[in-house]
Amino acid sequence: MKLTRRQTLASLGLAAGAGLLPRLALSQDAGAFRIGALNPVTGAGGPYGTGMQKMILAAAEAVNAAGGAGGRMLEIFAEDTQTQPQAAVLAAKKLIDVNKVQAILGTWSSGVSLAVIPLTNEAGIPLFHCSGAPALSVPPANEKKLGYRFQATNDRFGRAFAEIAKKEGFKRPATMAFNNASGIGNTEGFTRAWTAMGGEVVASVVYEPAQPSYRAELQKILDAKPDVIVTGSYLADTTIILREWYQTGEETKWIIPAWAANPELVKALGPAVVEGIISVDSISNEGSPAFAAYDAAYQKAIGKSGLGNVYAAMAWDMVTVLALAMEAAGPGADASAINAKMRDVANPDGTKVSSFAEGKAALKNGKINYEGASSILDFDEFGDVTPDFAASFIRNGEIKREYQVKL
Amino acid sequence: MLSYLLFTLTIGGIYALLALSLNLIWGGVGMVNLGLAGFFAVGAYATAIVTGAGAPVIVGLGSALLASAIVGLLVTYGTLRLRGDYLAIVTLGLAEVIRLIALNERWLTNGADGMSGIVAPLRSTVGSQAFNLGYLVFVSAVVILMWLLLRRLDHSPFGRAMKAVREDQELAGFAGKPVLRLKLQAFALSAAVAGLAGALYGHFQSYISPDHFQPLITIYIFLAVSAGGVGRPAGAVIGAYAVVAFLEGTRFVAELLPGVDPLQAAALREMLVGAALLLILHLRPQGLLPERIQPARKTRP
Repeated sequence: MKLTRRQTLASLGLAAGAGLLPRLALSQDAGAFRIGALNPVTGAGGPYGTGMQKMILAAAEAVNAAGGAGGRMLEIFAEDTQTQPQAAVLAAKKLIDVNKVQAILGTWSSGVSLAVIPLTNEAGIPLFHCSGAPALSVPPANEKKLGYRFQATNDRFGRAFAEIAKKEGFKRPATMAFNNASGIGNTEGFTRAWTAMGGEVVASVVYEPAQPSYRAELQKILDAKPDVIVTGSYLADTTIILREWYQTGEETKWIIPAWAANPELVKALGPAVVEGIISVDSISNEGSPAFAAYDAAYQKAIGKSGLGNVYAAMAWDMVTVLALAMEAAGPGADASAINAKMRDVANPDGTKVSSFAEGKAALKNGKINYEGASSILDFDEFGDVTPDFAASFIRNGEIKREYQVKL
Repeated sequence: MLSYLLFTLTIGGIYALLALSLNLIWGGVGMVNLGLAGFFAVGAYATAIVTGAGAPVIVGLGSALLASAIVGLLVTYGTLRLRGDYLAIVTLGLAEVIRLIALNERWLTNGADGMSGIVAPLRSTVGSQAFNLGYLVFVSAVVILMWLLLRRLDHSPFGRAMKAVREDQELAGFAGKPVLRLKLQAFALSAAVAGLAGALYGHFQSYISPDHFQPLITIYIFLAVSAGGVGRPAGAVIGAYAVVAFLEGTRFVAELLPGVDPLQAAALREMLVGAALLLILHLRPQGLLPERIQPARKTRP
């Protein structure tokens, strides 16, 4: 087969044009409220992004089944961030300008959220994210107060780690952080809180992602003879680190964030390796009806327990709380009117509700307080959730919550 | 829709500058630079730091050119003995080194949090619509200027000497061409163009972080230059716009396919990019606009 230059050019042009044409023919439902689901389907966030996107769709379905919010049905437009700021920015721009979405939900890594938020600010629409970087709370990123964080900041996580380390009587902590805004935020928050209590961190290391082995970094930490190692890490790297640590035979304790120290970790390493590890999470409402509803939807969509993906629970809450704010703002409300109602439907002083349908009914009789699947979901002045934390211990392969930590 | 098109075209222009940079060094001198993302990052960070300290944008752009040219010179000195695959591997490593410096030297680059609030020139006075349009015009003008310049360079004695080095370094040296100087000049110029692209990107996005400069972008630019035609500036520019159009076009195509949910579409897009590269290499290895070799001037017997 031989193509001339003209033929190649023409077919390329056609392919590009074909992408745009049918869009014009498809008229969009004018009455619907359009939401962009911008999730890390591929790339480093891949293990979480699929679940997040499916939960956004499932939660929107639940809202629509309850008759829509503020008289409007939700319509979801999904895009992939590729866990990459450059790609995410283009995807966000497409959602805002082509699909005309009125909110963007579910960005995951801090780099992506920080790159996307100037665009959502410019368009005057809310961005709901689960990134940990403290910079997202304050100007310039959050100058318009349109950013909402459904995940506790890394700084708060670090403070909770310090409280737990103190309570457990550790004297010589060391830290290991995954080199990104979130990992470093965790261990730095810990170090700040720990030194403020008069303690000393005996060693700390920041490691590069996606290595086949972390032996060198681990050895550097173990040489300082810590009694506990505090990490800001993810599932994949934690699995390798713990396996290598177990091989050294050292007796050290671990404090690990719950998104890494979860049932998947136990399954990957076996109960002997993970015995005694302290897993710290912001209290998700596992016993709550909201969590049960989310878990059922997650089981149906993915076929696994909803406990394994905290971010999917946050994505579920994002849609629900947005829909409740729409309902409270009334028919035809614009983004800023909806934004003004966010705290009214999520924060205390009001009837506690755990689903959109329940909240919609309760809104007729006054204020509501949505208690979510991922946390009780109360926003502070910066749009950050301020959950309590819990310390869970892994014993005989079971992760058991033992006590709560209030900051 | 309009604003999305403006945005995409601006990104296309920035990719076109990167493609011109790669075409100069790869198509011109035959040095494979897999470290393009690194020079892109140097330019972006240079202007972000300089304008962050209060300097005007034009000084920022100048310092981006300068900083990446200097890094380019250093690299060429460091890799003088390397050619072909070996050089490619070293430059790939260099881009990672630059990204890691940006990630770890937090006093300078703010580490993984990245630098936000980079000045967008005139945005606050003219509004964001006008800014987006104006910036597109500006970037496109830079692309055209750079294209004319590099085309001129290709036809100049310097360009011919460059290609002589590409074809046979020893022979060029034997014929009296200053091989080392040519390589240094070409690499520094190519790095500067990539740095300029980075600076333009930084001011457009107002936020940069080490995550922005992963090797993926280098791959896209290689795709662009291969598709457009190695060794011809016009090919590189067209290739870059085609790649951006293709990447964005796949979003819409994937949406229209029946029975494909958005999650599958995301995976499908990545496969399409790979398939496109394979198809181009198979059907048209010389690219859309292949290099034109000027015949030697006839001499009278």
